[in-house]
Amino acid sequence: MLRFWSGAVLRLLAVMLMASFAGAMLMRIAPGFSSDDQELNSGLSAQSIQAIRRAHLVDSDIPHFYGQYIASLVRGDLGTSRSLNQPVKELLRERLPVTMVNLAFALSVGWLLGLALAIAAQTWDIPALSFLANGLSGTFISIPAAALALVFLLLRWPPAFAAALLVFPKIYRYTQNLLQQSSEMPHVLTARAKGAGPWRILTWHVAPIAFPQIMALVGVSISIGIGVLLPIEVVSDVAGIGQLAWQAAQARDLPLLVNLTMVVTFVTVCATLISDAAQRGFKRSAA
Amino acid sequence: MKTIRLIAITVLAVTALTILGAHYLAPAGYEQQFRETPQAAPSMHHLLGTDELGRDRWARLLYGMRVSLTLAPLAALFTTALAGLVGGIAGYFGGWTERCCKLLIDLFLSVPWLFLLITVRAVLPLNVSPEASVTVTFALLGLLGWAASARVICAGAKDLMKSEFVWMARASGFSGLKLIRLHLMPNLRGALLAQFWISIPVFIIAEANLGALGLGVAEPLPSLGSLLRELQDSVMVRPEPWRLLPLAVLIVVISSFQVLLNKQEIRN
Amino acid sequence: MKRHYLVSTIVLLGAISTFAQSGGELRFCLRAEPKTFNPLLVEDEASETIRYLTGGVLVRVNRLTLKAEPELATSWKVSEGGKRIRFKLREGLKYSDGTPFAAEDVAYTMQQLMDPALHSSTGDAFRSAEGKLTTNVVSAKEIEIDFPAPVANLVNLFDTVAILSAKSPQKEMAALGPFYVAERKAGSYLLLKRNPYYWKKDAAGKQLPYLDSIRLDIEQNPEIEAMRYKRGEVQLINTVSPAIFEKLSADNASVRDAGASTDTEQLWFNQVPGAPLPVYKKSWFASTNFRRAISEAINRNDLARIVYRGHAVPAIGIISPSNKFWFNSDLKPHAYDTADALRRLQQDGFHLQGETLKDKAGNAVEFSIATNAGNRARESMATMIQQDLKKIGIKVNVVTLDFNSLLERMTQSYNYEACLLGFQNVELDPNSQMAVWLSSADNHQWNPNQKSPATPWEAEIDKLMRAQAASGDEHKRKQYWDRVQQIAWEQEPFIYLINKDALVAIAPAVKNAEPSVFRPQTFWNVETLALAH
Repeated sequence: MLRFWSGAVLRLLAVMLMASFAGAMLMRIAPGFSSDDQELNSGLSAQSIQAIRRAHLVDSDIPHFYGQYIASLVRGDLGTSRSLNQPVKELLRERLPVTMVNLAFALSVGWLLGLALAIAAQTWDIPALSFLANGLSGTFISIPAAALALVFLLLRWPPAFAAALLVFPKIYRYTQNLLQQSSEMPHVLTARAKGAGPWRILTWHVAPIAFPQIMALVGVSISIGIGVLLPIEVVSDVAGIGQLAWQAAQARDLPLLVNLTMVVTFVTVCATLISDAAQRGFKRSAA
Repeated sequence: MKTIRLIAITVLAVTALTILGAHYLAPAGYEQQFRETPQAAPSMHHLLGTDELGRDRWARLLYGMRVSLTLAPLAALFTTALAGLVGGIAGYFGGWTERCCKLLIDLFLSVPWLFLLITVRAVLPLNVSPEASVTVTFALLGLLGWAASARVICAGAKDLMKSEFVWMARASGFSGLKLIRLHLMPNLRGALLAQFWISIPVFIIAEANLGALGLGVAEPLPSLGSLLRELQDSVMVRPEPWRLLPLAVLIVVISSFQVLLNKQEIRN
Repeated sequence: MKRHYLVSTIVLLGAISTFAQSGGELRFCLRAEPKTFNPLLVEDEASETIRYLTGGVLVRVNRLTLKAEPELATSWKVSEGGKRIRFKLREGLKYSDGTPFAAEDVAYTMQQLMDPALHSSTGDAFRSAEGKLTTNVVSAKEIEIDFPAPVANLVNLFDTVAILSAKSPQKEMAALGPFYVAERKAGSYLLLKRNPYYWKKDAAGKQLPYLDSIRLDIEQNPEIEAMRYKRGEVQLINTVSPAIFEKLSADNASVRDAGASTDTEQLWFNQVPGAPLPVYKKSWFASTNFRRAISEAINRNDLARIVYRGHAVPAIGIISPSNKFWFNSDLKPHAYDTADALRRLQQDGFHLQGETLKDKAGNAVEFSIATNAGNRARESMATMIQQDLKKIGIKVNVVTLDFNSLLERMTQSYNYEACLLGFQNVELDPNSQMAVWLSSADNHQWNPNQKSPATPWEAEIDKLMRAQAASGDEHKRKQYWDRVQQIAWEQEPFIYLINKDALVAIAPAVKNAEPSVFRPQTFWNVETLALAH
C-alpha cells in the first residue's frame, strides 16, 4: 500500500514538473512570446517600446526561468502574473474555488444522470426508455460546449449545468456499453438462465465485472469535465481558471500559465490515481 | 428499433449524397457574395437565406458538411487507432510498459497543446490554401486527441488480460498477435467504437475553436465548425430558426452514426 | 462648435435643476480587468476608465467642444515657445482620504511621470527631447513646469495626468476626482463610491457628482453585455458593435449613433527591404501604382454598408473628417474604380492572362492578408476584399492569426505580406502621430525603424512632421499636417478603409448624458450624470 502511494506521489510530481516545463517550452517556441500589444501604442517612445520588449525577454531562457520558479515555489511563492499584474497565488485563490465548485456540480449531476439512465435501460427492457436515453445522450454529445453555454446563458441557467449535460452522455454511453458487454458474459447468461432477477444479475454478476472500468471512467470523466467546463467558463464569463488560462495563453503570461498547467495536471493526475487506487482496492477485496 | 435504424441509414445516405453532390445542389458558390441581400431571410433564391456577407447559407452548409464530415471521422479514426495502440500495449504488457504509457497519457492530457498549434500555424506558409489548412488542423487534432481514450482502452485491455477466457486461450497456446486479434480486439471493440464517435463532434467543434488561433478553415471555405462559430456571435438573435440548422444537422448526423454503430455492436 | 457648446450648456443647466436630487448607482461593464490603479502607468482601456472616473486633472478637454477647461487649475499660461507652463491651482481641495491637495502634489506627480525608467505613454507624450524636467513650486497655489524642449499641444496633454498625492498614506488610491475605488473583486466587479471631498458643485450649489456610486462589472463578452443592457442590469455601453446595435435598436432598446469616430481600419503592404518574401513580391508592394490600384479596387462603400451595417464611412486618409480642425478638407474619398485600377497596374507591367493577373515576369499575383483572429469585422472585411480583388485577377488568402503571433510578424520577423488592422486615435493632435509617420519610428508599420528614409516622400513626411512638432503656431502646424495627409493620400502606405461610427447605448434612465465620438463616449461628463428613479 505504502509502495503504491509513494509511487503515486512520485508520478504526480513527475508529471506536474514535466507538463509545466513542456508548457513553458511550447509557449516560448510559439510565435508572439516576446510581443506585447503595447508595442502598437503610438504614444510610447522608442525607448519605452524597447523597455517593454526587454521585459518580455527576461524569461526567455526557459530552463533558467523554470529553475527559479521551482526554487520560489518551494518557498511558497508562485510568482506574479505578467499580464494581470497580480500575484498568481491571489489569482488562484480567487478563481480556483469557482471552477472546483462548478466541476463538482457538473460531475455529480452528470454521473447521476448517466448512471441512472444506463442502469435503468439495462435493467428494464423498455424500448421507450432506452430510446429516450439514447436520444438525449446523442443530442448532448453532438452539441458543442460553447453553443450549449450560450443557450444556458440566454435561459439564465447555471453554466455548470451545461457542463453536467455534456459530461452525462459520455458516462451514459460508456457505462451502458459496459453493462451490455458484461451482461453477455457466460456466467451472467448462466445466472439468467437459472432465473435470477434483473437486480440480482446487475448487482451480483454484472456490476463486479464492470466496476473496474467504471472506476477508470471516474478519472477520465474528471478530465472530460475540465475539458468542457473551461470553454464554458470562457463563453459564460465565469471568473474561474478556464477564463484565466485563456487570458494567460493570449497574453503569453508565462508565470500564470506554468502555474495553471500545474493545477490542471494536479487535478488530472489525482483523478487517475483515484481510479487506479479504487481498482486496486476492489481487486484486493475481491481476491 | 428497426425503424430508427432505417431512419438513421436514410439520414446518412442522404448526407453522403448531399456531400457528394454539393456542387450540383448548391445554387451558388459558397464564396459568392450577394452584396445587395446580406442577411436575407429564406426565399426561393436562397433556401436558408444569406449570411452577413450575403453568401448563400444553404450552399455554405452543404460545403461545410463536406469538409467537416469527411475530415472529422478520418481524424477520429486515426486518434482511436492511436488510443487502441497505446492503451492496448499498456494493457497487454502491463508492468513497466503500462506505467510508462500511463505517464505518457497523463502528460498528454496536461500539456497546453494550444501553443503547439500556434507554432504549427507559424510554420505553415501564409499562402497555404484553405483546404490544406483545414486538413492539417484535423491531422493535428487526430494526433493530439488520443490520450483520454487510451486510458479507457488500457483499463479494458488490462482487465481482459486477467479474465478467464484469456487465461484459457493462453493455456491453449494462443499468444501475441493471434491473442490480440481473436480475443482482445473483439472485446475492446465496444470501447473503441465509443471513443471513435465521441471524438467526431469533439473534433468538429475543436476545429471551430481553433479558428480563434488562425488554424482551421480559412475564409471563404466553410466548415460545420465555422458555421457554428457564427452562432456564437449571436446570443441575442431573435428567433431565426434557419440559422440553427448547422447545429441540427450536426446532431442528426452524429446521432445517426451512433444508432447504426450501436446496433452493429449489439449484433456482434 | 461654439453654439453647440452654448446649447449644450443650457440643456445641461436645465437638466441639473431637474435631476439634482437623484443619487443611485450607475452600472456598466469593463471589457477586462484594469491592469493597474496607478494613473501614471495606464495603458489599457479598463485602467483608463478608472483613471477618468477617479483621477483629478489640472485641465479637462471637453469631449464636445474639444477645448481645455479648468479643473484643479483655475488658469494656466504657456510661455518660452511651449517649453514652460504655469498653473494657478484651486485652493482648499482634499483627496478622497482627506489629505489636502497642494502644488507639491503636482510637482511630485510630474517628477514621477517623467522618470525615464517609468516607461509610461502618458509621460512619453511630454517627452519631445532628451533632458530633465524641472518643477518650481512658486507658492501653495502656483506651480511652474519647465520642459527641456517645446511640447506641442501641451495644455491638452494634462487631460491624462491624474494628480497623485505626495503625502497620502493611500498613495495612488487617494482620488481627487469625482469617485474613488471602494471595493473590488478580481475578475468580477469594481465598486466606485462618490468622493465626499470632491470640490465641484453644480449651478445650484449642490455638490457633485449626483451619483452615489458606480459599479463596473467585468464582462468580456459584448453579447452578454448587450443582453444585460436589454434586461436593465447595466445602463451604459461605451462601444457597441454594429451587429449588436442593430439588434438592440430592433428591440427598441435605447442606442445612439454619435457619428464617425476618429478610429481607422487600414490595410498595408509589407515594404521592409529585409522581409523574408520573394523579391518580385517586394517590388509589387513598393510600387505606388500597385498600392493605389489595390485601393481603387476595394469597394469601401460595401465595407461600410455590409460589415458595419451602415455605421461607418469610407475612410479618406489618416485623419477622420470628425477631427474637424486637423482634417485636410481638400482630400476626397478614393474612388472605387476597377478599370482605373487595371490601368495603373498595366503601367507597372501587370497584365491579365485569362482571369489571372500576372506581373512583368509572368508571376501570378497572389498575396495573403493577415489579420487578428476573433475580430469578426476585420475577418469580414478581409473576405470582402478577397472577392473585390478577384475581379481584377488577384488571388488573396485570408489568414487570421492570434494577436501575439501577428504582432511578432509585424514587428520582429516581418514575415507577412499584407496586414489589416485598426488603430485607435485617442489624441487628436498630429503630434500623437509622430511614432507612426517618422520613418525611424517603431510604429511606421509598413517599414519601421529606417536608418534613413527609404523613399523621397517618406523623407518629406519626416521633415514636415519635425516641423510641425517644433512650431508653436497652430496654423503653420495645420499646413504641415495637411501636406502629410496629402502625401499619405497619394502614396497610400496605409490603405485606409473605413472610419467606424461611435455607437453607444445609454438607458433612458440615465439623465444628462451627451455621448461624444471621443473616449470615454458615454460618461465623459460623469459628474453630472444622474439616474431617474
